[in-house]
Amino acid sequence: MRPINYITTAADAWYNEIKAILKDEGVLLFFVFLPIAYPILYSWIYNNEVAREVPVILVDDSHSTLSRDFAKMFDASPEVSIALQCNSIKEAKEAIGRSEGYGIIYFPEDFDKKVGRMEQSHVSVYCDMSYMLTYKAILVTANLVSIELGTKIQEQRLGNTTARQDEVSTHPLEFEEVPIFNVTGGYGNFILPAVLVLIIQQAMILGVGMIAGTERERKYVNYKARNCHSITQAINLLFGKSLCYLMIFSVMLAWITLAVPRFFGFVSMVHGWDLLQFFTPYLLSCVFFSIIISEMVRYRESVMLVVVFTSVPLLFMTGVSWPQTAIPGVWQGLSSIFPSTFAVRGFIRISSMGALLSDVAEEYRILWTQTSIYVLLALFVMWRRVQFTNEQTSQSE
Amino acid sequence: MKALIAREIRLLLHHPIYVICMVVLPLFITVFFTSIMNSGQPVNMPIGVIDNDNTSTTRKLTRLIDAFQSAEVVEHYNNIADARKAVQRNEIYGFILFPEGMTQKMISGRQPRMSVYFSNATLLAGSLLYKEMKTMCTLGNAAVGQATMTARGATPQQTMAFLQPIKLDTHNIGNPWVSYNIYLSVMLIPTCIMLFIFLLTAYSLGAEQKFGTYKQWLEMADGNMLKALYSKLIPQACVHLIILYACFLYIFGILHFPAPGGIGRLMLLGLLVVIAAQGFGVFLYGAIPSMRMSMSICSLWGVLNFSMVGTAFPIFAMDAPLQTLSWLFPMRHYYLIYQLCIFNTYPLANVMTSIIALICFALLPLLVVRRMKKTYNNFEYIP
Repeated sequence: MRPINYITTAADAWYNEIKAILKDEGVLLFFVFLPIAYPILYSWIYNNEVAREVPVILVDDSHSTLSRDFAKMFDASPEVSIALQCNSIKEAKEAIGRSEGYGIIYFPEDFDKKVGRMEQSHVSVYCDMSYMLTYKAILVTANLVSIELGTKIQEQRLGNTTARQDEVSTHPLEFEEVPIFNVTGGYGNFILPAVLVLIIQQAMILGVGMIAGTERERKYVNYKARNCHSITQAINLLFGKSLCYLMIFSVMLAWITLAVPRFFGFVSMVHGWDLLQFFTPYLLSCVFFSIIISEMVRYRESVMLVVVFTSVPLLFMTGVSWPQTAIPGVWQGLSSIFPSTFAVRGFIRISSMGALLSDVAEEYRILWTQTSIYVLLALFVMWRRVQFTNEQTSQSE
Repeated sequence: MKALIAREIRLLLHHPIYVICMVVLPLFITVFFTSIMNSGQPVNMPIGVIDNDNTSTTRKLTRLIDAFQSAEVVEHYNNIADARKAVQRNEIYGFILFPEGMTQKMISGRQPRMSVYFSNATLLAGSLLYKEMKTMCTLGNAAVGQATMTARGATPQQTMAFLQPIKLDTHNIGNPWVSYNIYLSVMLIPTCIMLFIFLLTAYSLGAEQKFGTYKQWLEMADGNMLKALYSKLIPQACVHLIILYACFLYIFGILHFPAPGGIGRLMLLGLLVVIAAQGFGVFLYGAIPSMRMSMSICSLWGVLNFSMVGTAFPIFAMDAPLQTLSWLFPMRHYYLIYQLCIFNTYPLANVMTSIIALICFALLPLLVVRRMKKTYNNFEYIP
């Protein structure tokens, strides 16, 4: 076989694959619609980033200037708002049951008196724990207001002469908190990079699995070796197919990592060259990984049954929603099979933290390792399919 | 009827995909999520320290922060640039800076400034560390004040009343440990199971078409589509229910997650979820009789359930159109019922709309029964 023939077989495989994809609406849905539409949808869902003006119910038994000051300051914060004032905790509880608020702030009768008597005064916050973001908003705001009002009371009691004296005696140690990355603490900025990168892998596994299912149902007719060794045929096929998937997903990846964050104003500190280098092994390992997974697909539809649900566990194992250091070793081990784990970790740091390729060197190396292992396995898968068709044809002849 | 059910049971047992997706994977998911968040809150997250002061006070503060449950000091850095690099390399989640002369300034009353840097790129780690470091700073401030007050001869009560004139009492109703396991697992596991039910329902209906067994199926039901449907769905519903109850048993019975609403409501909710999910699956297959298209839409919808349930990012914080759209996601209703009537103990009347919504999902197939019969008889499966 002349070298030019290798190229033509690979090109043939590429052309057949493109044709098959364009004809198959199911595959198109996963290869084109999903990577284009889902990022937009998710960006829309998390576009508002933070929960503002969480409704809280006020119960004020104290009816004093101090409790009203507290309530006013509380209401004035961006995170929470006082939606309703009730006369008793019981009434407030019922309002929570009607979803009119997510927490109760309660001033006891002696709230003001205790301050007057130089005793420690208490204010209670009751939080509905079924929503963590609202809990956080209510708690943090109540805490800040109580500290601020407390400082004012301290200043009155101290009777200092200058403002500077007040500052020093109420805060002998000044505390400065600096959020360095994702400074707004936004939900979208935190979850989106992970979701975006994961979409690529999942779309590819689903699409490639579906193609393989169809081919299997048609008994791999297009795998037949034409006067060349079966391993050569397998290499050609793998090359052609991978090239086709790579071509489609390079465009999708550019859309997902470069365009979508800009449309919605998400943090994106990517350096083009680093991104290109980092995602090359990711795309490659995804392609080969999908081909390996597709071998387990019996019918074209069954791939969805076992692949779709993995998205959420995979997202968890990347360490974005649950810190990586807190993930048990077993699951860390399992997660290292998937390219997405490392690609998400790397991309978050490149995109949200402005890391360079040298900072994500570990992930980069693992992705290349995965690529080199998976390419061999994928080749084996291809070779088996070629063998299978060869046997079939020899039997029928 | 009996023959139809027997046929369905044979089908379920014969194809391993059903056993895998109905039994094995849901149980796996349950173990996965509950074990990954076993600690409730992440513990010992690595942080760094830049100690430019290096006195016994700053070392004491370092030990103090190291002793907190969620943080662990793993490394000392020479400057901010090094520490920032370490954050970018995923070695630490944040760091503390003690400036030079901090102790001296503190003693001489010149108000030194200590800084805490934390990364919100992992939101949970960032907010927990922020909370812990804020506590430490309050304690640090209090320690200075306390020493002065005690020296002046104030009683402990007087000291506390001065240092913290207004104390905040937090009551975390239902989840006093602020356990993320309790908060997330009860949403993630049923959502996964619902995804499986969506897909399996559409798959099993499509499979009749695909493998050409629908003729036999419809004949056995005397050409009555409705009868054929429910005799197919009831055995499946039973398996789904048993598995869902088994997951509930594991979560609430063995792991002792709080469910003050009681077992009865939990079982009712399980039943509603299963029939609503099946109804949705049948409806989609009836509306879009192509097996792969209906399954694809089931997947897309099922995955969106995780976001539109509104547990992690609340619905009221989303854009207005999305708030309305959230009604079209059965999981949203599950969570509303769970949140108000099982996690809290409000009467079921408060969530009547959600209960009705789930029943409506379960009744959706009635709209497409007639159409389905036509499709089965007229269309052929095109691979």
